[in-house]
Amino acid sequence: MKKYTLAMTLFLFSATTLAEVAVIVHPSNGNAIDAALIKKIFTGKSKSFTDGSKVGPVSQSASSDVTAEFNKKALKKSSSQLKAYWSKLVFTGKGTPPKELGNDAAVLKHVASTPNAIGFITAGSEDSSVKVVQKY
Amino acid sequence: MKTQLTIAVIATLSLPLQAEINISGFASVNGGKVLSGSGVPQYGIEPTFLADYPIVSAYTEDFSMKPESLFGLQFTGNLSEGLSATAQIVARGANDYDAKFEWAYISYELNDSWTIQAGKKRLPLFYYSDFFDVGYAYVWMRAPADNYTWQIFNYNGINALYSGSVGDWSISGNIYGGREDDTNNKLLSEFFFTEPTREIWKDILGGVIQVSNDWLEVRATHMQYTNERFRSGVQVLWDGKSEREGKFYGLAMNADFGNLFILTELNRLDLGGNLDTAMITLGYRFDSFTPFASYAEFEQDDLDGENHNTKSFGVRWDFHSSAAFKIQYDDVEDNSFDLAVAGDSESITFGIDVVF
Repeated sequence: MKKYTLAMTLFLFSATTLAEVAVIVHPSNGNAIDAALIKKIFTGKSKSFTDGSKVGPVSQSASSDVTAEFNKKALKKSSSQLKAYWSKLVFTGKGTPPKELGNDAAVLKHVASTPNAIGFITAGSEDSSVKVVQKY
Repeated sequence: MKTQLTIAVIATLSLPLQAEINISGFASVNGGKVLSGSGVPQYGIEPTFLADYPIVSAYTEDFSMKPESLFGLQFTGNLSEGLSATAQIVARGANDYDAKFEWAYISYELNDSWTIQAGKKRLPLFYYSDFFDVGYAYVWMRAPADNYTWQIFNYNGINALYSGSVGDWSISGNIYGGREDDTNNKLLSEFFFTEPTREIWKDILGGVIQVSNDWLEVRATHMQYTNERFRSGVQVLWDGKSEREGKFYGLAMNADFGNLFILTELNRLDLGGNLDTAMITLGYRFDSFTPFASYAEFEQDDLDGENHNTKSFGVRWDFHSSAAFKIQYDDVEDNSFDLAVAGDSESITFGIDVVF
């Protein structure tokens, strides 16, 4: 029993610290979206999908775990590096960071109802209202 | 131009019901002092560290928090269909926190690649020129002073911005033109000539191209302008002429290997003779701590021309998700006699940068 509890605790612990991130789009979005394009979209370097339609990226609160995980794995930047990167663009009129939504549920709802949206959520929180294009 | 801009700004601002106004900002609270310095006895200048030339951020042996502290607010009104109006107001300790419009422009996104902007903007000469005030965006206390010595840092005009990509490379650039008439230029009036100096840069025409991939970034730029100057109302003559042509060339290369990064800049201003500036910085990220070492120099191609360099060491600590603490030691060597700027100095400066 004790062993089982320990195993459970370890499992839960690792599940929270190594949470996976899922990148989601609207189910009707048929574009090829790879890790390189995701990186470009979320750093403001790509403004459209391969079919030419405009991208509408959404992020989550900068202090949330899923955002930190996404920044590290998908953008290869720490949250403060990313903030420094965006402040350089924002205050020189060269770009605007993706809009921040409150949590996984808010991103899910937004992406499910917006054809050109792309967002990220904790893997496992997705449902059939969206399409997962990448997992980290 | 100014009236047209005002009318356009009023026109855009008078549609408040359709506009979504975003407010963002940045602030730096910095302090420091000269530990030891020679000053410039021949010009009666006490031991001084000129940390920022254009706004005359001068530290002396008395600890002060005024030279580099600043507070900036940016307002962006987003109208529909790619049109926006942006204003940036900055209050600087060096100007007794007098709030001034530093940027005021209208931006129109033509398509995914091109954006046209018109109004008052920062002159994008050096790599860090147009975000010079946003300390949070870079590693040092300030962009290296020996390089960023220019008296004019804003202009009124038109800017076309481009962004695109080729394979793994992102390409961005801009072409701009305009003029600036600074009736009481701070650097020239208060520091160099100690008399009211009007500095005019007209027929400004410049271009910037920047390419980057995952780890490397290269920026090249060229700008030319026509200079006119009045000291105490009297036109300055250069070789008997009231105007002179300036040509600026700049190359910056930054490499980021994940934790280790290298920042470099090479610039030349040709004003009849050459004024060369160069900078190299090495930094390493240890989680939230980033120690760095930097060397920057300014060299005028002339006998006893302006000639100074700075060795800097410091650390940036990202202690909060929107704030960084920095501390930096600077060792300045001023080698010219006639064109001495502020003499040799060793100083310590520190502060907090935030963005919101």
